[in-house]
Amino acid sequence: MFHGRPPKRALRIYFATDIHGSDRCFRKFLAAAEHYEADALVLGGDIAGKGLVPVRSRNGTLTAKVRGEAVAVPHADEERLRAEINQLGFYSVVGDDGEMDRLEGDKAAIDAVFEGAIVEQIQGWCKLAEERLKPAVRCIITPGNDDPKAIDAVLKAAPRIESPEGELCEVGPVLLASCGDVTPTPWNTEREYPEEELERRLDKILAPAPAGARLVVNFHNPPYGSGLDFAAELDDRLLPVIRGGRPSIIPVGSKAVREVVKRHRPVVGLHGHIHESKGAQKIGSTMCLNPGSDYAADVLRGVIVDFADDGSYLDFLFTAG
Amino acid sequence: MASTSTPMAGKATSGQGLFTRQSSGLVRELGVPAATGIALASVAVVNTFINFYSGLFNFTKVDMVLPLLLAAGIWLVAMFAYRYLLRAIPRAGGEYIYMSRIISPAVGTMIGIATAVGFSYTLSANANFAANYVPFALNSLGAAFNSSALMSAATSISGTTTCVTVTCSPGLVICAVGMLVIVGLASVFSLRRIAQVILALVIFQVVAFVVLGFLLATHSHQDFVNALGSYSGKSTAYNDVIALAQKNGIPLGVDIGASLLVVPFMVLNYNGVLYSYYVGGELKRPGSTYIWASIISLGLLIVVWVGVWLLMRNTIGLDFMQAQAQVGGTSDYSGITNLQANAGGLGYGLVLSGDPISKILIGLAVPAAEIAVDLAFVAVVTRVIFALAFDRMLPIGLAKISERNASPVNAIILAVIVAIGFTIAGSILNIANISANLALFFALVLLCGSLAAIALPFRRPELIYKPGTTDVDRIAGIPTAAIWGGASTVLALFTVGVIIAKPNVFGAFSIASIGSLIVIFFSGPIIYVIARRMRLSSSSIDIRLAMRELPPE
Repeated sequence: MFHGRPPKRALRIYFATDIHGSDRCFRKFLAAAEHYEADALVLGGDIAGKGLVPVRSRNGTLTAKVRGEAVAVPHADEERLRAEINQLGFYSVVGDDGEMDRLEGDKAAIDAVFEGAIVEQIQGWCKLAEERLKPAVRCIITPGNDDPKAIDAVLKAAPRIESPEGELCEVGPVLLASCGDVTPTPWNTEREYPEEELERRLDKILAPAPAGARLVVNFHNPPYGSGLDFAAELDDRLLPVIRGGRPSIIPVGSKAVREVVKRHRPVVGLHGHIHESKGAQKIGSTMCLNPGSDYAADVLRGVIVDFADDGSYLDFLFTAG
Repeated sequence: MASTSTPMAGKATSGQGLFTRQSSGLVRELGVPAATGIALASVAVVNTFINFYSGLFNFTKVDMVLPLLLAAGIWLVAMFAYRYLLRAIPRAGGEYIYMSRIISPAVGTMIGIATAVGFSYTLSANANFAANYVPFALNSLGAAFNSSALMSAATSISGTTTCVTVTCSPGLVICAVGMLVIVGLASVFSLRRIAQVILALVIFQVVAFVVLGFLLATHSHQDFVNALGSYSGKSTAYNDVIALAQKNGIPLGVDIGASLLVVPFMVLNYNGVLYSYYVGGELKRPGSTYIWASIISLGLLIVVWVGVWLLMRNTIGLDFMQAQAQVGGTSDYSGITNLQANAGGLGYGLVLSGDPISKILIGLAVPAAEIAVDLAFVAVVTRVIFALAFDRMLPIGLAKISERNASPVNAIILAVIVAIGFTIAGSILNIANISANLALFFALVLLCGSLAAIALPFRRPELIYKPGTTDVDRIAGIPTAAIWGGASTVLALFTVGVIIAKPNVFGAFSIASIGSLIVIFFSGPIIYVIARRMRLSSSSIDIRLAMRELPPE
């Protein structure tokens, strides 16, 4: 039983998702191409960070709260402090007490600072990809529901990055369909749509695919009830519901994604969105995968997927590096 | 969605030193009360009587106060070591996550497999516990309903025969297997429904425990002597049991050295009290929430268990408890009373209770507790089997989720079959042996966590840097995390050492028990080698890729 011959692969995709502003995870993502001998890297959305740490400048000293603890460092250490904050997946904004006090309570101003920080980071990442990736490796990055729409243009404009959001894109023997839209979440984020509308949007993306094409769907939202979508149930105040002494876990995926997967029968589904629900599940003949996310611990979770030269799916392997 | 963001979407919150934007994310919002609830729900409160009995049965001249306090001390030290692990890696997953992130992914995977097998073994052990209490439950129900049929069923179900070459009790094995099948069938329902069942069973056992405490507190020693006489149909039963022990040369009283040897059983008693780290991803301010939840839970258990033990000492009498545990399995004892010795405090409660409701509560407390624990363990085991199947260590079909109720049917079937296998193998061990094996297993798991805490400041110091610096907390130049990890390691090794050094007393090292432990701890590497070789022959992806650390630069 140990002496068979492994099938020949024509394409290897490395897929990761939900790195939420972690600079370290993005660097690992780029390193994955060489490490896992991947032909194409796919980053499936939710790449922007969520927190902005105010760093107050007073008398040559910078003060901030990092991991809940007050920190004071000299101005000379600004870069290191901001890098440390970024490693946690947060951005930082430096200013004096007056500037910080003005920011507080001014939602529009905070949103503007956020957008600037996110765009600046994505631009930096695009440049890094240009420097580090070998020419033969394709790098595909699509947004997720936690990414502001401002990053779409940045990704489209980057010469080394492909961002086929809402489109079909040929990757070796398969056609990749990408969509970062999701069903409504308790947080009312930017790319949320009701199930019916999401189903219509997904169908529209897949409609141009020729009959018999080998499809791979890169849908940020996992299919409902697939085991790739288990998350804690929340109450009206967004607090976890406790049942039997433990957080209640329920499926929170999209029924529209499930229906579209059943109808179009892609060979592989690549999903994210639910960090704690790493998993692999077959829906009909489709192998659906969610590598999960552990960005806060600096760990890049991903999945290697191999395809044969006719575009058929060969095998997958989850990674954590 | 994440487990790491804050709830103040779109607000400026200088108090927390963080601005957040409108984004999704499960909030770290489990506070101290919720975390304490999780810790206490992970401890089977009435199992303390099983462990009291194991201590009294295996050692003479034992008193439980010192072991209860020392075991709490071991968990307290471990708690501080785990605090560093939780602060560094605030994720669900326990030792598997810590070992894989800090030591190496390969070692973590091995621990993951060992945990999966070990937890399946625990499923089986819990079923055996429950089965051993079925005669007691039938006697209690018989007393409650005044039914001689139930009482005679209790006698016949615990009847022994020769299985292959050893004495076993087919009735009890059938009970254990039956319980596993019921747990397996119940586990197919949705997690929400299972959680409701678990909560009901936990409430049931807590009520039984409170009733027992009330009975012990409201009755005098003489009341118990009289009640036992009445229960046994022999007014001198109490003194007869003590006299029987003395006739058999069993020393009674207290010896500190003997009491120290009982510590492993009491370590097992508290198992679960630190388990709020398994939901580290949801804890608000993980380090401090975890510490407070664990301290409150430990404190509460110390008060309740030491309190109940002292009440038993006062109302029942230490000499009687020691004598009963030592001679409870003899035919001479059966001639005095049919009170099941290994029921311990629950048995005393049954004797003292005058109303049928108390009898029913006390009789069914242990089976209820074990069913609750097994239902929870099935959920844990299947999550681990999921993870292993996803990593292709086990067939991917084991990760199949039922579309109807979102439950992992194949993984549940596997877990129950493995547990039934352990149960049948375990039928040749007595209850005390099973306790010792479990104590050793959980002590080894504790040892893994402690070693991870030692390694943390050396292997992944950046995860616990003091904010704004590039160094970790130190005492006398030694990383504080390593100090707590070292202390916890020493205490875990002490527990392991006591168990290993006393095989004649613990009786745990039969071929079956050693075989079980070997299966638990060495199946990981074997499964890994087989899975890799099989995979290489049929797949284009080497499984080793799953365990490589990616360089960020």
